[in-house]
Amino acid sequence: MTFDLFLQYLTNGISLGSLYALIAIGYTMVYGILKLINFAHGEIFMMSVYFAFYGVAVFSMPWYVSAIVAIAITALLGMGMERAAYKPLRESPRITIMVSAIGASFFLQNLAVVLFGGRPKAFPDISLLTDIMHVGAVTFQRLTVIIPVVTTILLFMLLYLVNNTKTGMAMRAVSRDYETARLMGVDVNRTITITFGIGSILAAIGGIMWGAKFPQVAPFMGVMPGLKCFIAAVVGGIGNITGAIIGGLILGIGEIMLIAFIPDLTGYRDAFAFILLIGILLFRPTGIMGEKISEKV
Amino acid sequence: MKKRDTILTVLFIALLAVFLWQAGNHLDSYKIRILNLCAIYAILALSLNLINGFTGLLSLGHAGFMAVGAYTTALLTMSEATKEQNFFLVPIVEPLASITLPFLSALIIGGLLSAFVAFLIGAPTLRLRGDYLAIATLGFSEIIRIIFTNTQSITNGPLGLKSIPNNTNLWWTFGLALATFILIKALIDSSYGKALKAIREDEVAAESMGISLFKHKMIAFMIAAFFAAVGGGLLGSLIGAINPIMFRFILTFNVLLIVVMGGMGSMTGSVISAFVVTSGLEYLRVLDENINLGFIKLAGIPGLRMVVFAGLLMIVVIFFKNGLMGTREFTWNKLINFFTIKKKFRKKEVGQ
Amino acid sequence: MAILKTDAITMRFGGLVAVNEFSLNIEKGEIVAVIGPNGAGKTTAFNMITGVYCPTQGDIYFDGKKITGLKPHTITKYGMARTFQNIRLFKELSVLDNVVIANHLHLKANLLQSILGNTYPDILDRFWQPKYKKEEKRILEKSHMLLEKVGLINFIDEKADSLPYGLQRKLEVARALATNPKLLLLDEPAAGMNPKETSDLTSFIRQIRDDFDLTIILIEHHMQVVMDISDRIYVLDYGINIAEGNPYDIQNNEKVIQAYLGVADDA
Repeated sequence: MTFDLFLQYLTNGISLGSLYALIAIGYTMVYGILKLINFAHGEIFMMSVYFAFYGVAVFSMPWYVSAIVAIAITALLGMGMERAAYKPLRESPRITIMVSAIGASFFLQNLAVVLFGGRPKAFPDISLLTDIMHVGAVTFQRLTVIIPVVTTILLFMLLYLVNNTKTGMAMRAVSRDYETARLMGVDVNRTITITFGIGSILAAIGGIMWGAKFPQVAPFMGVMPGLKCFIAAVVGGIGNITGAIIGGLILGIGEIMLIAFIPDLTGYRDAFAFILLIGILLFRPTGIMGEKISEKV
Repeated sequence: MKKRDTILTVLFIALLAVFLWQAGNHLDSYKIRILNLCAIYAILALSLNLINGFTGLLSLGHAGFMAVGAYTTALLTMSEATKEQNFFLVPIVEPLASITLPFLSALIIGGLLSAFVAFLIGAPTLRLRGDYLAIATLGFSEIIRIIFTNTQSITNGPLGLKSIPNNTNLWWTFGLALATFILIKALIDSSYGKALKAIREDEVAAESMGISLFKHKMIAFMIAAFFAAVGGGLLGSLIGAINPIMFRFILTFNVLLIVVMGGMGSMTGSVISAFVVTSGLEYLRVLDENINLGFIKLAGIPGLRMVVFAGLLMIVVIFFKNGLMGTREFTWNKLINFFTIKKKFRKKEVGQ
Repeated sequence: MAILKTDAITMRFGGLVAVNEFSLNIEKGEIVAVIGPNGAGKTTAFNMITGVYCPTQGDIYFDGKKITGLKPHTITKYGMARTFQNIRLFKELSVLDNVVIANHLHLKANLLQSILGNTYPDILDRFWQPKYKKEEKRILEKSHMLLEKVGLINFIDEKADSLPYGLQRKLEVARALATNPKLLLLDEPAAGMNPKETSDLTSFIRQIRDDFDLTIILIEHHMQVVMDISDRIYVLDYGINIAEGNPYDIQNNEKVIQAYLGVADDA
């Protein structure tokens, strides 16, 4: 394994990890605020890729217009889903809302099959992103560098929003103590809707970059990434945005490195995420950035 | 009271036996297959309900246990020749190659193996809280599936197993479903079952009343895994072919759906729901296929079936939060009361 | 010999010291109260004694056995039972079941015997009764007796959380008694009670102490109850044991009065 090859893998890992991170943020924010695992988040991601695809393929929009439209529609989809599937169940036992989330997930997957057909489609090639660059002996698409950059920018924007704005304060309040926040006049419904909206926007941006990187679009493309990104969020500390980024990177880099160093285990690529999950749950269940919460008896 | 109940139950079983005998002789194979499937899902639902509904643990790993059962049963019932045929890429590992066992033994061994796997999985995960337990069990289920996909010499990897002997018939499925019901009911009604319910209601209080959380959760988990494996074994034998793709999360979700719709914490609810949902899913297949009404041809839309189904599920979950039966059971008492109360009202009217 | 002894137990949550080197010594048959202002660490002390928390420092001895760090279910098996400050009944289960469940820890029949015993049809009972069924019968009888003792016999089939507050507290006591304890810890048993109820409670506590051969420790804010019933009192303030003695001494103790200044007992 030469150093150059190692760098190549590392860059890929960081790139993949950044994509995971963007989607993981959506999971972590929703869990932080509602204590709900939004199983359907992977499908929001999948839908965004389809929207972007249709914008270019069917409506012949230039890719950057299509991207913006796709992001907007995805945000609406995410917020709509919250209203329809989660809001009515806010007072219900946890398993009911989890079943609804899983149901929403399958609903969207199969809706995609019905609307878009089960056969995979090819995501349009965006030359700005896919052009090959050379840095030293390392070769990669421009996209590979753009992804982490975009992710970092979005992260800072998000952290600013959460820590320095009133909306962000509302979000933090609701995730700490839902009831009290409501009593203190925080518009909880609006806050939750905004949270879903932001999560969906990030997933959509991640989705478009994913589509550019892995050009195959299929109805079930959100399942594995969805699961993995949730795991990334847990690894980083569920409810913690920075944690989601860290988790995503660990997962992405780890996955690539696994294949790089032990090519025989390529078939177990997906298992890596699950093993990581089990490991973190056993040794540090609150995640890397998480805090211990003890129950008052 | 109890004497009457026992007699009624025995009567019910006798009637069921007659029904199965007639059905076996007169119904077409499609309907028989659906009946078999219903009974299998009843077993699966009862076992999942034991963990989720009665002990209050959110386990999403059922597909993994089903896989263990399905593969074990298949490998132990297939003849040496069939195995050779299947394992053309990489030959099967030796002791498995020559063993062929009768159906029931294979099912039970599958069940025991699954219970053992449950022990290994449960040891680290059962102490996790709510959602984390859910994801951990889901993770393990996926790990099992991925392992099965990659162990070519034992499971034939992604190719799966074909030509599994079709041992499953109405007697096996309904018989085992009945046995499952009786055994799990006996567990639930016993002191141990009450301890499980206590854990569901309030873990801290249960522990303070002397109930070892770990031991009891493990009991529920292992027993549920056993029956899930039996269900898996029956399923494999019914369909005749299995592969790792079959045991993805959607399979667990199917069973979870049945349990939630029937009422978590109701055994009769699980059984009824299993029959309704399984047959419902089958009949909804028409949506996927072309409907020929003679003068009109409606083109089938693949995937519409699951869309409708998922949609219905969400409607049920949102509007009927406790499922069909909540935590209530169907008892002979209720059925009799249902008929006698009507009589009482009629009498009153006449008297006045 | 002391039935319960704690040796300078301390409980730290991160930087917060909830209980600071608390040593107590309880003889068999005593009724001892632990009092102190809100947040003094009383329930935390209970939680350490019953095993819900593992003390950061110090040891606990029950009946001569070291129980520090043991899990609650083991400690309960040794003969210690408790009630909770915020009632923790098995809400969806019946009143009877709440008490029956608390018998489970002493069940002699194992899992297999229980399942098979329950599959055994009742009609054949006249020929032979399985071990499990015999035990079940005994448990039911005992639970009925306990419920009668606390005055809940008419409610046995009601759902636990449908009971009024005062009766729920009684159910918690009945449940704790079902575990065959030697030592009973009551966490604010008089909370929310009116004067008639509290005087009933006082005689009730004495009665169960005599009938069941118990030692009782209680946390209480109702000073009337505390003074009437306790043989001895420990006073906690900010996690520290500031005084110990009989009711008369405590009532006149300067430090105690200061700690409670401004805090009246509830009506």
